[in-house]
Amino acid sequence: MSRFNRAGVAGAAILAVAALVAVVAPLLISADELDVTRVTAAPWQSPGAEFWLGTDHTGRSVAVLVAQGAGTSLFVGLTAAVLAVGIGTLVGVVSGHFGGLVAGALLRITDFFLVLPALVLAIALSTVLPRGLGTIVLAIGLTSWPSTARMVRAQTLTIEARPFVERARALGGGHVHVIGRHVLPSVVPLVLVNATLAVATAIVAESTLAFLGLGDPTRISWGAMLHQAQLHGAVPQRAWWFLLPPGVAIVVVVLAFTLVGRALEAVVTPKR
Amino acid sequence: MRVKLCALLAVATTLGLATPPAAAEGRVILKVAIVQQIDSMNPFLAVFQSSTEVGRLMYDYLTAYAADDQRVTEGIANRWEPSADKLTWTFTVPEGKKWSDGQPITAQDVAFTYNLMLTNEVARTANGSFVTNFSSVTAPDDRTVVIRTKAPQVTMLALDVPIVPKHVWEKVTNIKDYANDQMPVVGSGPFVLTEHVAGQFIKLKANKSYWRGAPKYDELHFVYFQNSDAAVQALAKGEVDLVNRMAPAQFDSLKDKPGVTRNKAQGRRFVELLINPGAQTRAGEPIGDGNPALKDVRVRRAIAQAIDLDALVQRVSLGYAEKGAGLVPPVFGKWHWQPGESELRKFDPAAANAALDAAGYPRKADGTRFSLRLTGRAGRAYDEQASEYLKRQLGDVGIALDVRLVSDNQLNEATTVATYDLAFSGWATNVDPDFILGLHTCAQRPGADGKGGTTDAYFCDQTYDELYARQLSEFDEGKRVELVKQMQARFYDQVPAVVLAYENALEAYRSDHFARFTTQPAQGGVIMAQNGMWGYYGAEPAARAATSGSTWVGFAVVAAAVSSLLLAIVVYTRRRKATAGERE
Amino acid sequence: MRRGVRLWGRLGGAALSLVMVAVLGFFLFRVVPGDPVVSMTRGRPTTAAMQAELRAQFGLDRPLHEQFFSYFTSLLRGDLGTSFTFRRPVADVILERLGPTLLLVGTSTVIAVGLGLWLGVRAAWRRDSAFDKATTGVSLTLWAVPTFWLGMLLMMATGELFPSRGMRDTDTAPDFVSQALDVGHHLVLPSLTLVAVVCAEYMLVMRSSLLEEMHAPYLTTARAKGLRDDLVRRRHAVPNAVLPAITLVFLRFGLVVAGAITTETVFSWPGLGLLFYDALTGPDYFLLQGLLVVTAGAVVVMNLLAELLYGVLDPRVKVV
Repeated sequence: MSRFNRAGVAGAAILAVAALVAVVAPLLISADELDVTRVTAAPWQSPGAEFWLGTDHTGRSVAVLVAQGAGTSLFVGLTAAVLAVGIGTLVGVVSGHFGGLVAGALLRITDFFLVLPALVLAIALSTVLPRGLGTIVLAIGLTSWPSTARMVRAQTLTIEARPFVERARALGGGHVHVIGRHVLPSVVPLVLVNATLAVATAIVAESTLAFLGLGDPTRISWGAMLHQAQLHGAVPQRAWWFLLPPGVAIVVVVLAFTLVGRALEAVVTPKR
Repeated sequence: MRVKLCALLAVATTLGLATPPAAAEGRVILKVAIVQQIDSMNPFLAVFQSSTEVGRLMYDYLTAYAADDQRVTEGIANRWEPSADKLTWTFTVPEGKKWSDGQPITAQDVAFTYNLMLTNEVARTANGSFVTNFSSVTAPDDRTVVIRTKAPQVTMLALDVPIVPKHVWEKVTNIKDYANDQMPVVGSGPFVLTEHVAGQFIKLKANKSYWRGAPKYDELHFVYFQNSDAAVQALAKGEVDLVNRMAPAQFDSLKDKPGVTRNKAQGRRFVELLINPGAQTRAGEPIGDGNPALKDVRVRRAIAQAIDLDALVQRVSLGYAEKGAGLVPPVFGKWHWQPGESELRKFDPAAANAALDAAGYPRKADGTRFSLRLTGRAGRAYDEQASEYLKRQLGDVGIALDVRLVSDNQLNEATTVATYDLAFSGWATNVDPDFILGLHTCAQRPGADGKGGTTDAYFCDQTYDELYARQLSEFDEGKRVELVKQMQARFYDQVPAVVLAYENALEAYRSDHFARFTTQPAQGGVIMAQNGMWGYYGAEPAARAATSGSTWVGFAVVAAAVSSLLLAIVVYTRRRKATAGERE
Repeated sequence: MRRGVRLWGRLGGAALSLVMVAVLGFFLFRVVPGDPVVSMTRGRPTTAAMQAELRAQFGLDRPLHEQFFSYFTSLLRGDLGTSFTFRRPVADVILERLGPTLLLVGTSTVIAVGLGLWLGVRAAWRRDSAFDKATTGVSLTLWAVPTFWLGMLLMMATGELFPSRGMRDTDTAPDFVSQALDVGHHLVLPSLTLVAVVCAEYMLVMRSSLLEEMHAPYLTTARAKGLRDDLVRRRHAVPNAVLPAITLVFLRFGLVVAGAITTETVFSWPGLGLLFYDALTGPDYFLLQGLLVVTAGAVVVMNLLAELLYGVLDPRVKVV
């Protein structure tokens, strides 16, 4: 147990650093360093004293781009996860609390989306909607809520079968009372764990969509950097400094979210 | 016992995978990378550039364009004669040319092909525009084809239509579903299609009985790549021999690669920036939502003047382009137009600022005059980079740009129904300028429902249209060239679009495998994407060095390492188990 | 009796899912703005009349409800419409690309399942050992790696050892052994990429599945009988824990599909994933719609199979 908690603490520390970078980077980096029309450095420079991580195909510093990209990647990851978990919680609580036709239909829809390959659907959505951050968030959020819904529903059913909820109902507690006072509080910890893990998935999904050229081309994100690296031939040029940093950033942050999620899970889930 | 078996198996696999596959001996093969899909092998349906390129190798056209200077030369026909009223053209198909199955090529084949297109709308899918003006095509004998047109047509020697063998195609009942995959496919070109695996490769073999003479090597393979990045890598490794459509950075990456020769050629393509001139339908009704400021030609000229074309060429195209001017690229030297000293719009932000002030668009408190949308295609490197420069350059004259990079489909939609202010576009041009000029006539604008138009820039100008009609019936080439240049000058002056750059075609080949290729035109010309098949046809193999087994040696080393690792793990676990058993 | 009802319920549910997939496929790609015919004819000599003909050919000139009706009835006959790009039935285009994908996905899944389950068992059995910590750590990291990035790294790292694209060379001798070796050579990097990503998931699943099983009373009984640790694991614990893991393998089939799309894109592997990517660049809506229906349909069927299999194999579990 302590191992996971230690890993969880390490993950949290990494996330704190990443969040700090995401917030501070836009303040420290001048627009000139990101504007391809104003950069003066030679393109494809390998790492050196001036540019720690070299330069990209336009002569911008890769280190600066990675720092700048943190904001977009984290933003998409967090908002998409909030959207997914929000939908999931709503559907889960509603289908768990209210029985009958509504629950049946919601369960059916949940099962349907649960089996659909999320990436395929997200790709389809981002193809038909206009390009932009909103589309990416929507595409990821709308395709990754069903697992949360399933879990929340199960938890709702368990809670509502408990004697104290039955008592509350007998004493005349309405839907709002039961959901607000009993169901939601008991669901929240689970939802938190789920949200943490959902951020990890969402960041990977964002990078994949951006890599396939479906991202917001006017914004710098880690996935978009990898898209550019591929588009402009980083692999044949052996420009490892353009390929490694954004990828490593994704892996480290996603891993951190996963570790934190697992640590939380260990705390929340009752031991058997 | 099981350990030994495993070991034996591992060694056997290693040896098996490490033995290089026997490459086919004694055949010289040219391997070409293509990044675009093949849509169809049926020449009546194939519209992708990659497919028509393969089609040119399989089927000759009625006439061809010479390799050195692109003048009209012998194809299936070797002589042609228009009547005095220019309505009847008589082509002669000489004796001695044969289909790849040995049957003679006759005038009947030519008449069959054109008549199929005239009578079957599906057969007009790919090249229908060439025959819309035909009233009849007949073959009075095996050597003579007579084509009658409804109106005089100057492009009668530029009919880019593959001629198919009548004895094969008359048996085809349903053109729409015919994949043309009866291998080997009977054709008249220098190569014969022998195999096509969708998404993987196309194999052709040399047509030894080709009337110009057999190609100098045995087989031509087109290998499909998902992106040009992978294609460039494959060229560097020697997996393919010829690559085109490279990005400037990729082209630079091959600079000092031994065994690779690069070819920087003048291309047929140009990129342009559309400026919505107040789009209207054919009936003159306004359509779309372009910024009304752009209806003023002074504003459009000011925008053009504020764009630094040299900077775009240097920074976006890394120098691999020429500064834009007229609609016809310089590779077609005869038709190409450059503004004279008096007509030239030099890059001059100060003059542009003054012009915008004079046009009645003063700067507001925040320093801008008005804002415009710039629509481009996401994923197209040029649009992504050039939009940054345009944003800055137009910002300098007080025009704020809202850059919208969208999918191909959304870009098409925006330009079709005129919901753009500025938009990127581009065209590949043909030897005859008729098509690219025709795009800008009033009649190309859409009908009332926004459909049925093929206009490029919503240009509609009476002077331009009159010049277009005159050049279309001008059979004196010198006079026609003059008219074509006047049209380009008018277009440049009215600026419904700014031609930004003529992009170079960037190609590279393995000069250790193939010594030389025929370019078109001879000076600064392209190898691939020609108006012909000379690049492939004229390729000369080098005295080929024995293929090195280096990749296979490396592969063997890795395979051996992996197998020994597996072996070690197996042995290790076996022993652990044994000791664990004793421990209990 | 109850089981029979449940089975029919399951089948009905899957059928309903398939219908929903079909409906979703239609509306997702038909309600988008833009005229596909304009995209098809962009950049080449076209007249308005030719465009109208094409529109009629693809049935795009008819009202939406008619289009939907004809789409649905032809779908029941196995007709997925005609691809804009290839001018051929979508079903044919998809079938043609099925082979390479089955090869890649099949090879990778077999290796990933074998390796993942094996590692998972070992890690769980020696919980908190160095081996457990190492494999769990590696798996968690691999799980965080974007598939396409791993592919690009492998390509750059191996340099000229492996071919950079496709499934086979064009100049390999036509005999079976040479062809098979050539395909094997091309298969190494793509399958390695896919295995690495998928295997991590399976390992974690197997590990937690076995951990849950470890404290079951029957294992204590088995040990009390004096069986060797190794035998307890092999004869008692693993068979019981493998079942949920295998089911999960089927349930996570969507994961493999997603992995295949990115892997095939990076390595130009000529399968369905690459076709999907190519269809995106058009975009070829009928083809995308067909691919969505086929992949989603496959996943639905796989899930149904997994659930039925689970019920048959493990009588303790009711098919819910």
